Amino acid sequence: MNLMSHLIAGFPDEETSIAIADALVKGGANILEIQLAFSDPSADGPAIQTASTIALEKGYSTKQGLEVVKKIHERHPETPIYIMTYGSLAFTPGIENFVKMCKDAGVSACIIPDLPFDCDEGLTEACKKHGLENIPVAAPSMTKERLETMASKGFKYIYAALRAGTTGSETTIDQATLDFIDTVGKGGAKVLGGFGIRNGEQSKVLSKHVYAVVAGSVFVNIVLANENTDKGKALAIEQIEAKAKELTGLQ
Amino acid sequence: MTYSNNGFFDKFGGKYVAEIIRRPLDDLEEAFNKYIRDPEFLEELRVIQRDYIGRETPLYFAPTATELLGGAQIYIKLEGLANTGAHKINNAIGQCLLAKKMGKTRIIAETGAGQHGLATAAACAKLGLECVVYMGEVDVRRQQPNVATMEMYGAKVVPVTSGSRTLKDAVNEAMRDWATNFKNTHYVLGSALGPAPFPDIVRTFQSIIGEEVKRQAAERNIDIAAVVACVGGGSNSIGVFTPFINDANVRLIGAEAGGIGPNVGENASRMTGNASREGIVQGYKSRFLIDEDGQSLPTRSISAGLDYMGIGPQLAALGESGRVEFTSILDKEALEAVKFFARNEGILFALESAHAGAAAMKIAKELPKDKALVINMSGRGDKDIFITSPVFRPEKWKEFLKAELKRLDNNEDIHDAEIMNKK
Repeated sequence: MNLMSHLIAGFPDEETSIAIADALVKGGANILEIQLAFSDPSADGPAIQTASTIALEKGYSTKQGLEVVKKIHERHPETPIYIMTYGSLAFTPGIENFVKMCKDAGVSACIIPDLPFDCDEGLTEACKKHGLENIPVAAPSMTKERLETMASKGFKYIYAALRAGTTGSETTIDQATLDFIDTVGKGGAKVLGGFGIRNGEQSKVLSKHVYAVVAGSVFVNIVLANENTDKGKALAIEQIEAKAKELTGLQ
Repeated sequence: MTYSNNGFFDKFGGKYVAEIIRRPLDDLEEAFNKYIRDPEFLEELRVIQRDYIGRETPLYFAPTATELLGGAQIYIKLEGLANTGAHKINNAIGQCLLAKKMGKTRIIAETGAGQHGLATAAACAKLGLECVVYMGEVDVRRQQPNVATMEMYGAKVVPVTSGSRTLKDAVNEAMRDWATNFKNTHYVLGSALGPAPFPDIVRTFQSIIGEEVKRQAAERNIDIAAVVACVGGGSNSIGVFTPFINDANVRLIGAEAGGIGPNVGENASRMTGNASREGIVQGYKSRFLIDEDGQSLPTRSISAGLDYMGIGPQLAALGESGRVEFTSILDKEALEAVKFFARNEGILFALESAHAGAAAMKIAKELPKDKALVINMSGRGDKDIFITSPVFRPEKWKEFLKAELKRLDNNEDIHDAEIMNKK
């Protein structure tokens, strides 16, 4: 199965975030979703906001964050890296400049949830021009009409947020969710499905229905529980590798 | 430009939100467009405005200020006389009534200084709705009087511990709550900003301020040359400006927080100075105090209500087109204005509104004596006692607080406290 796993560039520090990427890849993750910390991540839960604040306090804004991304890319050139961040960080330097900076760091796609697919400030076009994918984020609360419009726009991937809330709560895979996944993939997009994945059983069930399972705050929470000491960080890296293995079914 | 074009005011505005929050915004837009044309809704709102808020509020002629400033006739729109002490109630009541029509039973709100939270808490108590107010932990600590009042109205105040733990973080937290609970919950955003349709909704409910000013002026043959209002997010200013936007004879002036100086982190000036940039933050495109990457920057103002990094998109557009002039007022100028109007007119401005007062004091002389300069006093200053007292009478205030603390530590009734027996 495919696992897209998440980390924040520069959280809890540069060295550890690179080690986290190593552990995720070793644990079987075959896509890395790397978040560039933003001061106001309103589509994320409190765990990722707290982690983002820590990364920013250590100076990991766009440029420094992308340097971390580049290092990770050099260590794992075969693993695609998708950047996740917010519209402010893409719009302020100029959307095309931002996409170019991402490309130079080895990024292959952008996930920017607050630049809606029908009002994206030219993100999709800039990505196309530079050989990246723009990956929109779909939510179950979208009207059928809007969801079908998104699905028919020709995106190669669509990120499906499988809950009517933000990251960090439990996921149940009911019929409504499965119908939602079907609609997201209707136009041929590969579906990256997640939000709230906690254990191997959930990811096993979900993996049958999506191109890749997405897991994010489960890893961030491991780091948040251990980030204050070197020993804790080493333990977190071990736990992350084990958790990735659990989610990918490698263990 | 009085209404948005599909959520945009020129290039500013929009609905830059994740899809998880799109549906509640679209539902809200539809409901608002329906009820704002519904005579029954409007009549219900009118009665509440009259009997509960206490509208209309007076347009007061300030004779001593006029004489001392030596220019235009100074008029003050006393929004501070509205129930709960500020203009915020106009929007809170409007949105809560709308939410009730939509079948929502739970209201959430963000608040910085606590004025909008307080107004929303009162509106919910009046209309029988559950109320949860998100407030940055830092603000909860420094604005205890408003927290206490919100709780008195039955609201639950939730301290927000993420990010910088101030107003913008409270907005993020309210958005998260709404994304999860929108089926039974309405989010009452307190300023004319955020994603569409909020700027249109908040402006519509606040426009009653300007409509009254226009009517009062016509009834009394007052010839208005300029209207001045303070601008944080911009709800009171857009409310008083709106009926005058298409009247080129009336200058519209917005007073921003100049804080303690012009540098980054020293003020909250988005339209003056050079600390701000165009950006997309918290769901809308406008001018923000953000850095070159797009990260939000710290802001500063003595008035908590103006201490915010963004400005409503319509005001940003009106500022860029030149229709609204902006000026920035330092903390110390605002404090001087509080004193000036209190002593000379018996009117106590809120620190926010005092920025408008201070701007008026500067420009009154530029205007002819037979014309009127209208200051919107968006709120009254009782709430600022913990900020103004340490400035104007620090020793006595300190003594008072120490005695109070001692009394509370000893668990004494005020009648038995040492301070009562001191000769």
